[in-house]
Amino acid sequence: MAKMVIGMYSGGIDRLTAAGFVTGGGAALDMDIEIFVLFMAARSFIKDTAETNTELSETPKFKDQFFSGLNKYQVKKWYDFFNEAKELTNVKIHICGLAGKLWGGEKIKDFIEIADDICGTTEYVNAATNADLHLFI
Amino acid sequence: MLSNEELQKITVNKAIDARGTACPGPLLAAKRAIGEINSNEILEILSADEGTKKDIPKWANKKKHNYLGCIEESGYFRLFLKKL
Repeated sequence: MAKMVIGMYSGGIDRLTAAGFVTGGGAALDMDIEIFVLFMAARSFIKDTAETNTELSETPKFKDQFFSGLNKYQVKKWYDFFNEAKELTNVKIHICGLAGKLWGGEKIKDFIEIADDICGTTEYVNAATNADLHLFI
Repeated sequence: MLSNEELQKITVNKAIDARGTACPGPLLAAKRAIGEINSNEILEILSADEGTKKDIPKWANKKKHNYLGCIEESGYFRLFLKKL
């Protein structure tokens, strides 16, 4: 089974949604998927923040148009993309330990339920080395 | 690939309406549904998403299912595939 690894650095809803969208494609193809939640993204995975964060990583001047489009086309919330992918294929979501601490997340319980565990950088680099497809978003 | 006329006459074993979902919703709905039918049975997917017209044939090919074709209706598509 092909493997996709995503280094999820950005915490903006635009990039998280894009990552969820790509993860959905990987799930359709039965890929094994590992997502490593790095620095800015870790903030968005913190409980409470996940629901309330509306920041974009790019072009904030298009924020209203972006969210209007998401609503119009009934696009899933970024975490629902990941959740659906987890139902369909083997998806693991790892939170970078250091990144979590930056935003007050010390334990896995501090993050939303789709997060599986807390890991270090070696696990990410090793997974990326062995992946068929590695994306850094 | 079957003609529109042939597709109109085909006996569908399972149909899913994914017109309310954006990409990749129809594709993921198809993935779920294909697990619920038997080999050689026909799945019909309704989608209003233009990208699905290309996604479903590519996915079917990758997963070794037989993509039979698409009927364009007003505002949506009917895509057919046979589970192999």
